[in-house]
Amino acid sequence: MQENLAIAFVPVQDWGALYEAEKALCVGTVFQDLNKPFFAAADEGTDNYHCDAAESSQQQERERMMAKIQATSFVLDDVRLYLDTHPDDRQGLTLLNETLAERKKLLLAYTEQFYPLTVDSMADFYEKDPAPECYCWQKGPMPWEGACV
Amino acid sequence: MWIYEKRLQYPVKITKTCPKTAQLIISQYGGPDGELSASMRYLAQRYTMPLKTVGGLLTDIGTEELGHMEIICAMVYQLTKNLTPEEAKTAGFDAYYIDHTTALWPQAAGGVPFTAKEFQSKGDAITDLTEDLAAEQKARTVYENLLRVITDPEVREPLKFLRTREIVHFQRFGEALERTKEKLDAKNYYFFNPEFDKQFVDIAK
Repeated sequence: MQENLAIAFVPVQDWGALYEAEKALCVGTVFQDLNKPFFAAADEGTDNYHCDAAESSQQQERERMMAKIQATSFVLDDVRLYLDTHPDDRQGLTLLNETLAERKKLLLAYTEQFYPLTVDSMADFYEKDPAPECYCWQKGPMPWEGACV
Repeated sequence: MWIYEKRLQYPVKITKTCPKTAQLIISQYGGPDGELSASMRYLAQRYTMPLKTVGGLLTDIGTEELGHMEIICAMVYQLTKNLTPEEAKTAGFDAYYIDHTTALWPQAAGGVPFTAKEFQSKGDAITDLTEDLAAEQKARTVYENLLRVITDPEVREPLKFLRTREIVHFQRFGEALERTKEKLDAKNYYFFNPEFDKQFVDIAK
């Protein structure tokens, strides 16, 4: 990569060490090389999935599955941006394919146990329970209501 | 076309009402370096990008920024949903409360409404990508300013996540600029505008 005067230059990232999905979501990237903490927020605990003990076991299970969907989908978000600027990267494509398959499984399991998160999941839900409330987001809390409502 | 997915990209669960914190964080909804600005900037710039891959990147980052806007809005909502009239009066949220009660409305921390004046779509790939690099840095600074003054861990976790995303996006826009430069003459990147002077440019679509 040549450097030239009078224009910005950022080196192109090489594939490197990765975080597993839950850790990636906690720090904000799957790529260890891009995790650059801020002094006033470094080395803090990162437990965001605390639920009250009083919550029902079904709710805790829903939380647990939602956390997995969020972590897996986040890896997908991050690796897709990487592939936008590295379209032929074999390792990136492998991670993409594995993560896509995992997400599909998780979304189906969530739909079967709880409620659909996407319009495509609505079709899966229909197989089980053709209730009208599942076609207008009414089943389950809205995402902004907080994790443990 | 966009398709909604009924979940946040990063979980938000805030249990303590704090209108003062809401009034600061709302800047990342409708402020000069907020997520709405970011999304509108990238989704506007993508149409005329000479490289298809860069148009794709702007689409993906512009979409992720919409998800970030939803995270910020969820935070403001949860920080104010149980607000009492007394808290509204005393906690620095009073002017906002008069105009919007506890509804969401895009504005900066200082009360300036969201405006398209805060971003550019200039029609020159080098100019726009350089703006995008700066935009990610400006948003990172805002998240760091917030992290210096906010102590509630339930608020800090999503802010830390969003701050890291600014750094990742900066890296990707830098790479997009490199990919664009590869198609131009390194002796003079400014001889023509690759988005407009098409007689000079032979960029893979």
